[in-house]
Amino acid sequence: MAAVLPIHYPRSLLRAFNVLPIEVWGPPQIDAGLGAAHLQAYVCSIVRNALAFLLSGGLEVTDLIVVPHACDSLQGLGSILIDFIQPRQDVLPLYLPRGNGERHIGYLIDELRAMYERLSKTTQRAPGDDELMASIQREETADEFLAELHQQRGKLTTYDFYRLIRAREYLPAEGFIELAQDILKQQGASRTAGIPIVFSGIVPEPMSLLQSITEAGGEVVADDLACCGRRLYPPGTSKDPFRRMAERLLGVPPDPTLGSPISARLEHLLGMVKKGEAKGVVFYSVKFCEPELFDLPMLRDGLQEAGVPSLTIEVDLSDPLSHQARTRIEAFLEMIA
Amino acid sequence: MGEKKREFWRWTEYNWHNPDVNPKDAEAITGGVDVGAVSTQAVIMTDGALYALASMRTGSDSPDSARNAMNWAMEDSGLAIDDLHYTVGTGYGRVNVPFAQRAITEIACHARGANFIYGPSVRTVLDMGGQDCKAIHCDEKGKVTAFLMNDKCAAGTGRGMEVFADLLSVPIEEMGDMSLDVEKEPPMVSSTCVVFAKSEAVGLLREGWPKSKVLAAYHAAMAHRVVNLLDRIGMEKEFAITGGISKNTGIVTRLKRELGVEPLATEYDAQIAGAIGAALFAQDLLLKQRNEI
Repeated sequence: MAAVLPIHYPRSLLRAFNVLPIEVWGPPQIDAGLGAAHLQAYVCSIVRNALAFLLSGGLEVTDLIVVPHACDSLQGLGSILIDFIQPRQDVLPLYLPRGNGERHIGYLIDELRAMYERLSKTTQRAPGDDELMASIQREETADEFLAELHQQRGKLTTYDFYRLIRAREYLPAEGFIELAQDILKQQGASRTAGIPIVFSGIVPEPMSLLQSITEAGGEVVADDLACCGRRLYPPGTSKDPFRRMAERLLGVPPDPTLGSPISARLEHLLGMVKKGEAKGVVFYSVKFCEPELFDLPMLRDGLQEAGVPSLTIEVDLSDPLSHQARTRIEAFLEMIA
Repeated sequence: MGEKKREFWRWTEYNWHNPDVNPKDAEAITGGVDVGAVSTQAVIMTDGALYALASMRTGSDSPDSARNAMNWAMEDSGLAIDDLHYTVGTGYGRVNVPFAQRAITEIACHARGANFIYGPSVRTVLDMGGQDCKAIHCDEKGKVTAFLMNDKCAAGTGRGMEVFADLLSVPIEEMGDMSLDVEKEPPMVSSTCVVFAKSEAVGLLREGWPKSKVLAAYHAAMAHRVVNLLDRIGMEKEFAITGGISKNTGIVTRLKRELGVEPLATEYDAQIAGAIGAALFAQDLLLKQRNEI
């Protein structure tokens, strides 16, 4: 088992080595004290909590720790783990490019090959191209189901939908496919249509937030969340497994951690607003998340110019959902209703 | 020994009803209850006109506070809670108003209440409450078009003022006037955090600053912080202040100075704006309900 930090990583590569990735988004609402001792006060709670969780033994069941370079804080965490903490598990950093052109794909192919070597050394296995392709195709199938669930999200309440799709963070692809098939077989919509909104940010924690949105009469019709909508990986085409994995990883919707320009992010958000007939956008940011916060003012200005109201809420994953955050969401929904 | 310590933070609780109106003649008797962090207001409206109100401290139990405030508003009116045709709860305890049919945020209710109190020309409402501050834009009907909240600390709020009232042993209702009793504005306290500002104030008192000067330094810092909130949302005329701090002349005067804008005046107690807004929403919802039947 590998503990994997956010956001993008090659699931199929890990699975080809018979390693099951379990993602670590925080976790929320834990005692972050152990993590805080090693990090600056301005490091976000995703990184701080992850380190605290590791130090308190929460990741003991895992054999590997994968740290993708999504932002400076995660890169810093990778260094701290390798240089100072030196956990029992091997720590595998993954340096992602900031762009999706040909040279970025080439760079990522090299990174994935280096990761293959590291995994090979750790697991004493060396899967061939056929095994890699089989693993890739299994993940592609799971991702197709994931995309279909996004299309048919109205079958579930907002809360149930995100609980379901976030199972992709820990279930093996085959388990997720089974789950998705069951849901997709269900007939019709089970939720009550609410005020449509688009949700943007990193991770919808605490999940009770989603129940609050429903209780306040809202409904998330599309998302630009790092853990969800920004990870709709397209199916690959290349016959080379490493190129195929790289193309898929970089073929996602616009993402600030992959260097997407703000104009592309704005266009994507406006596209989701239009398609979902959303009446507003809620930016739900984790405090001190630089990639999110750098873009936020320009995105909000752009939405305002397009006549789309927006709301920003900042949270710390260690805290429960605050009354103030609920009030802001309710007031925003009352305003746009 | 045994002497009760004076609580300087205590503000005047009161109730009122219009003796010239028989509420039972009204077609619509609606209630609005604003259960805030510090105070609770209950308002009764008869056919859309203000009939009765009560303003009191919020206790540790929100449902009790709501019930007590409404019962006090009904005192000597011949009304009982069951006579209310529709009630809306608002404020941080809005979901804990046992006799309310709906809960609506204080942001929407203050905008609607300000529209009632100050008239349809109001476009920017500054609600300075017990626990947070809100800058709200609204249209001519009192519908919110944008808002910003400072909800991260007690700076510039009633709770902060209460802390300073007790620290300086100055009755809270006299603090504003006393803060203006200085020849020249002193430098603001540097921290907007109530806890740190309190420590800073203790230091200033030890240096020999008179209470009025310490209060001036604190009030100026609080007003400045609120101006930042208004700057972020943008000031659209006309401008009105609601919430308990609207009664603090020290803050209001400094806001006028910094903003260069005269807030609208009213004969109403602007602290009840939220409850009035809630009662007005209750009136709308009652009429909608009756039309649907």
